[in-house]
Amino acid sequence: MTSQDNVPMTRAEKQQAKRLKRFDNPWMNPKLLWGLGLLLAIVALGLLGRIFWDPDLVFTGSAPLKLPPVGFENLRRQEGIWDYPLGTDGGGRDMLAMIIVGAPNTLFVGLLASLIGMSIGIFLGFSAGFLGGRIDDTIRVLADVMITIPPLLILVVFQSAFGDVTLTMMALLIAGFVWQSPTRLIRAQVLSMKQSGYVQMAQLSGASTGHIMFREMLPNLVPYLFGSFIASVTTSIVTAVGLEVLGLGPQRIPTLGRTIYEAINAGALIQNLWWWWGIPTLLLAVIFIGLLLINLGLDEVSNPRLRKLS
Amino acid sequence: MTTPVLRMAASALAIAAFGGMALAQDVAREDTVIFDLDRTIQDPENFNWMTPGTKRMHGAHQTMWEPLFILNYGTGDLDPWLATGFEANADSTEFTITLRDGVEWSDGEAFNADDVVFTVNLAMTNEEISSREASTIRSQVASVEKVDDLTVTFTLQNPNPRFLVENFGVRIFGSFLIMPEHIWSGENAATFAFNPPIGTGPYTFASASSNRAIWDRNDNWWGAKTGFQDLPAPKRVIFLGSGGEESRAQLMLSNQLDAAQNVTIGTFEAIQAQNPNVIAWHDDYPYAAADPCARQLEINTTVAPWDNANMRKAVAHLIDRTQIVNIAYEGTTEASQTMFAQYGSMDPFINAVVDAGYGLSPNADPAAAQALIEGEGWAKDGDYYTKDGETLSVNIHVNSASTEYTRTIDMIVEQLQRAGIDARAVPVENGVFWGEVLPFGSFEMSYSWLSCGSVNEPWASMGRYTTADVVPVGERSPGFNNTARWDGEAAEAYTAIMADIAARPLGDEAVPGLVAEAYQYLDAEMPFIPLVQAAKLLPMNTTYWTGWPTADNYYNHPFFWWNHTHQIIHNLEKAE
Repeated sequence: MTSQDNVPMTRAEKQQAKRLKRFDNPWMNPKLLWGLGLLLAIVALGLLGRIFWDPDLVFTGSAPLKLPPVGFENLRRQEGIWDYPLGTDGGGRDMLAMIIVGAPNTLFVGLLASLIGMSIGIFLGFSAGFLGGRIDDTIRVLADVMITIPPLLILVVFQSAFGDVTLTMMALLIAGFVWQSPTRLIRAQVLSMKQSGYVQMAQLSGASTGHIMFREMLPNLVPYLFGSFIASVTTSIVTAVGLEVLGLGPQRIPTLGRTIYEAINAGALIQNLWWWWGIPTLLLAVIFIGLLLINLGLDEVSNPRLRKLS
Repeated sequence: MTTPVLRMAASALAIAAFGGMALAQDVAREDTVIFDLDRTIQDPENFNWMTPGTKRMHGAHQTMWEPLFILNYGTGDLDPWLATGFEANADSTEFTITLRDGVEWSDGEAFNADDVVFTVNLAMTNEEISSREASTIRSQVASVEKVDDLTVTFTLQNPNPRFLVENFGVRIFGSFLIMPEHIWSGENAATFAFNPPIGTGPYTFASASSNRAIWDRNDNWWGAKTGFQDLPAPKRVIFLGSGGEESRAQLMLSNQLDAAQNVTIGTFEAIQAQNPNVIAWHDDYPYAAADPCARQLEINTTVAPWDNANMRKAVAHLIDRTQIVNIAYEGTTEASQTMFAQYGSMDPFINAVVDAGYGLSPNADPAAAQALIEGEGWAKDGDYYTKDGETLSVNIHVNSASTEYTRTIDMIVEQLQRAGIDARAVPVENGVFWGEVLPFGSFEMSYSWLSCGSVNEPWASMGRYTTADVVPVGERSPGFNNTARWDGEAAEAYTAIMADIAARPLGDEAVPGLVAEAYQYLDAEMPFIPLVQAAKLLPMNTTYWTGWPTADNYYNHPFFWWNHTHQIIHNLEKAE
């Protein structure tokens, strides 16, 4: 033991050590963590909120009308009260209960839709890229055609035809429009990967197609698939909120988009009921920022060159 | 090959011509009055009012087509318009109408008894014509004859002391409109588009698209020439589709709208705070004017389980009217006691029904509802009632044109959900709602006001639910009567009493008793469930125009989508 071991590290050395530590585990990316943190906070809000707050306050007529958040006054000079800390809307619904129930719902639609969409995309992308031939042609043409159709247009027609839809139904409908780009991208990746040595080796050793596709090649695409997944969650949520703001989402199940629709429809802007449309808008912003951070973080995880050096 | 080229050339010419016309007829904002339109104009090229669609309330029957009489809600009198008076025989089976002298169509032809006889005969002979007013004429008139150019005599199938006010008096929304014989003769009234349209009114049609219709003043109007009325002050009238409450409010604020459709009281207060020129029927709370069409939950009595009277009655017990008043109307109206509009003139009939024990409670009675539902074999399984593995559910169609409608239904959905019925709201666009959902019975329940009609006697409302008007689902209910398709023994008994009431003169002392007697069947069977009284809060802008109808200036009611709006437009004066 020399005395050198006990010499405290200089600042620069400390930073370097920290950096190295970070490089040791790429998943400890701050952007990724912040993003996950924001989304988990929304999920936690939903879970804990249901325990500590009464989610039934989310239904029409369960609270006084148009109360402002605590500390504010509405146009009728009523002050906010702690029974309804974030205020109430024009239909007598509590805003806190609304975000407790509505925000996780919005996230749920996005996750479910892109989970289904991605699964379809992975399956079709691999099949097209790996099997080639007629199958490739069919899938490629199908994806190319679908990609040119604006999803909102079709969804608006669908939803108006269905009338009241459930969240799951809505997620399924949206899933029908988020599988095309993953399919195309995965197909391209698979095509290039097919030529690599380990795939050809597996083929030579007689592994089945399913084995090669999903056991040999898929694991190499995982970070990439994650990135693609988050991107499609964002698309799905944007689509879902778009439909809800048009009043085409579920009628009775609260979602952030529907709350904004009702606020606009009932003249919340002119009545200065800012909490009615402002709070859901803020939460949507939080969800989108969270997703963006995760996406940036995942990029850095899968592509070391993007990691900052300082 | 030449056709498309020709067509293009023709449309280029047309565009040039219209462009030039639009420039030539530019009308200043202060000479224009802009009314709100709460629906899309699905067929802006068609002006055949006898067929379904937005053919009248986009300005046609407010500016171009005039009624014979206008019921004055303030005085209760029939104000003469195209007609000057009438005579009826003792048992109300023959009515003779005298027409005004000097009335002209806007193309210069004279308006006379021939036009009246021609149009009434059209409605009587063409079974395909479906509008409410035409169906009513068909079911009442036996024959119509011209006495001389200005006199027409109607012979009725049955005595009907209300014949004139019901058909020609703009009692509710519209009246039977007389069409020019020289243009309509030889046309099939069920398919004729009547474009370009003409009328006797002080305005002529200028243009229309799906969200607006423009009408320009005819300075050669007969009324000014004969001294009947001065030319109205506005040179142009526009009916503009405003969209929802928020855009309505913004248009009012920026003075781009002179009279808006119903808004909630909070929105009205906000408008008034920012634009003090905006007024309503009353200067103060509750601002709104009483609407004669009380709101109700319509039920399609042919669809299980709602074909069962006990189930319908259970729903009626579940409805908390006080809550609807407080939430959906923010306290600006009151709960309905009966199907009738709670006008002073209706008191004798309302009291008779309430005294007989058939009045409705303002509050819910969940225990009574539960007993009825369970009595029909349904049992609570989790949140909802089920029977034979089927959940008790209902879809309620609602017109999405106004927050008032959707919020009432949200409230009812909530009340039913809490009681164990899986209710859902199905919002539908205004035109689709009236054009496709209601008349054909393609609903389980819906929110509307189809017993509307009575303002000073009971038959107009009650007579809409007789078995004579029952048609199968998928066929159009005549004049929106009995869209519930209420049939069966009770309905037959009810219909018999209606026939009795119909023949009695206005003010007959036996009528309140008969109303109560008939009401027992409505109470027992609930073919529809009365909800609350309606109030319309219509913001009116005095920036450009004054003379709007208000409680202090009560020349008539303010519902500017009705046929009486001629009176409103004639009363408008340019603001100083």
